[in-house]
Amino acid sequence: MTSPAEIAVVREGGAIVAHVTGDVDMTNAAHLRDELLSSIPNDALALVIDLVRCRYLDSAAIEVLFDLARRLGRRRQALRLVVPKGSPLTRVLELTEVGSAAPIFETLDQALAQ
Amino acid sequence: MARRRSGSRPDQLRVRARQQAAVADLGQRALAGAPLAELIDTAAATSACELGTDYASVLELTDEGSGLLVRAATGFPPGALGTVLSAEPDQLPGYALRSNVAVVTPDFAGEERFRPSEVQQAAGVVSAMAAPIGARGRHFGVIAVHALQPHHFSADDAHFLTAVANVLSAAAERARHEEALRESEAGFRELADTAPVMLWTTDTDGLVTFVNEGWLSWTGTRFEDELGASWTLGVHPDDQALVLGSWDQRLAAREPWELEYRLCTHTGDYRWVVDRGVPRYEGGAFVGYVGAAVDIHERKTMEGQLLAIYEREHDIAATLQRSLLPQRLPRIEGLELAARYLPAARGASIGGDWYDALERPDGRVALVVGDVVGHGLRAAATMGQLRNAFRAYGLVEDSPAEVVARLNRLVTIGVEEAMATVLYLVLDRETGEVAYACAGHPPPLVLAPDGPRFLEGGRSVPVGAADPVVFRESRERLEPGSTLLLYTDGLVERRDVPLGERLDELAEAARGPEVDLETLCDRLLAAVLGDAKPSDDVALLAVRPLAAGADQISVSLPAEPESLTGLRRRLSRFLHAAGASEIEAYEITLAICEAAGNAIEHAYGPGDATFDVEAALADGELAATVRDRGNWRERRSEHRGRGLRIIEGLMDEVDVASEDGGTVVKMRRRLEAARAA
Repeated sequence: MTSPAEIAVVREGGAIVAHVTGDVDMTNAAHLRDELLSSIPNDALALVIDLVRCRYLDSAAIEVLFDLARRLGRRRQALRLVVPKGSPLTRVLELTEVGSAAPIFETLDQALAQ
Repeated sequence: MARRRSGSRPDQLRVRARQQAAVADLGQRALAGAPLAELIDTAAATSACELGTDYASVLELTDEGSGLLVRAATGFPPGALGTVLSAEPDQLPGYALRSNVAVVTPDFAGEERFRPSEVQQAAGVVSAMAAPIGARGRHFGVIAVHALQPHHFSADDAHFLTAVANVLSAAAERARHEEALRESEAGFRELADTAPVMLWTTDTDGLVTFVNEGWLSWTGTRFEDELGASWTLGVHPDDQALVLGSWDQRLAAREPWELEYRLCTHTGDYRWVVDRGVPRYEGGAFVGYVGAAVDIHERKTMEGQLLAIYEREHDIAATLQRSLLPQRLPRIEGLELAARYLPAARGASIGGDWYDALERPDGRVALVVGDVVGHGLRAAATMGQLRNAFRAYGLVEDSPAEVVARLNRLVTIGVEEAMATVLYLVLDRETGEVAYACAGHPPPLVLAPDGPRFLEGGRSVPVGAADPVVFRESRERLEPGSTLLLYTDGLVERRDVPLGERLDELAEAARGPEVDLETLCDRLLAAVLGDAKPSDDVALLAVRPLAAGADQISVSLPAEPESLTGLRRRLSRFLHAAGASEIEAYEITLAICEAAGNAIEHAYGPGDATFDVEAALADGELAATVRDRGNWRERRSEHRGRGLRIIEGLMDEVDVASEDGGTVVKMRRRLEAARAA
């Protein structure tokens, strides 16, 4: 039984926005990474991962965020995260210092405005 | 020729005694089975002697009854024997037949009723007495004594002659029966010898007295070889004990005997015959058996081959069936589960019954019991496909009706034509809510604390029966302490009893004190099926939500990533129920699942291994333990290092220790609600 998560990928100008809904853990994290990498064209400037409707991230999912940031960095593409204020994910992201690899914004608009 | 006439009483008595002795002697001879011809001669001679007459004769009615054949003629010239006299009543013999009693004529000169016969006339007979032999309508003939002088015949004399006639009558009657028997026996043997069956007869001891030509040519034996007890020598060695045993038993009881066994043929091969014998009675007396054997080798061997094929397919189907059913039901937190699967008796066909239970991502439990229409290998294989489809649809579809509808689509567009009755039910362990769809299946039984009842809703036609079909679902709430019984119709369907009555019987059998589900399953099967092996497959699944243990979780899970999803749901529910905030619930769940993730990734290679998770709330503090049987202290990957950092960062206290060759992670965290209080 893998965890249910859906990804909706939308192009917003020069950025690709991936809305992640559901749970991401060790059973589906690698799949999430592969899907996101394959959905970013070379001309895109940034990948914005919207975690507003993401209910669960574990260390495997966080590992994927670091990995994505590294890979995109080599392609001179930025990775940004959207995590609303008060999200249960906040403390975990702080603990693992994800912000050092992918800046975290409270809203999608802020992330796209960069 | 002495004219014997005695007026004195002692003489009379002496004569009477002698006559009686003479009759008795004749009777003894008759009883001893003396031939009729000999008895007739003796009777004539004795009569002449005892009555003191010159001549005596015995006449037998000819077949058409119009003449009287002289069978014995004591004293007459040789030419008299074999003469046929008139049986008309104008002569003494015929008159005697009509009168039915002894007739006396002291002197033919004064006789007006009849004339002497030709033989009497020729011999110069003056006086005579004649008595009919046999009862009226069944006369054998006439016995007569003749004197050449006028002769007085006393009443005793008449009695004597009548007695002699009676002895002859009985002897003649018996002779007639024997003749008829000989004729029928001869007819039987003739028929038997030309009949295309193997016939035999035995005596009262069961020893063979006759076998027909059919038997001899089939077995290649001689008539003498088969007489007595030696016929069993041709029976196949493996069948001898059975043949002799059953034959002796039936013979002793004088009951009909029937058996199929192998018998040696004239070529030396053994072939199957069916042999039937029935007791034979004559005059109420048991005289032995008559029987017939028929060669059934082709039928029998074909039966054997078919049976072997059926049994082989039955066994394969049964094996396939078992391999497709869950080896053991999953352990589902908060749920007691028990299941039984009884394959149909050998000889009947294996059906496609199945059951399954799985935990859905939303924490509800999906239960299914189904029965593929049809039997044998194909049904068992179809069952496997449907079972897998249910596992897939059951996980992604919330609505039971939709799960069943999807299955129907799969079956109706599929290559394999299949039809199945299905009961699919989703149970919420916390609330007791059930949602179910019943596609042509018997209704599930709820054993509620206040008595049994069936869930009669959500009914539709079987899956695969039609397309499109409306599938329905119903919802109900089970009372706390209820048990749910799902089953296939093998448990309740018997041809001779209406389904309604069988359902009542099942409900009645389920009544009774609450017991563990294993015991309940055994009790139900025993009550409903008895000792009989079921003629159809039976699948039974019993489910009972355990009283919600709000303050603790204890679970053992397979060491595979997929276990985490269910564990997460369970922990999340538990923590919410314990009053944790959404953030606390996520963080504590994450910490425990990270520990579990380490156990899964590092503790084991592939294979059946488990890890244990315990969580309990006491005094506002959550304590959790994750225990495995491997060592994951070394940080084999960066994200596992992050995992431990997450655990340490999210929990108030964390202790990682090696214990019994495994790793134990103990964690504590005080809930905000408790801090505030």
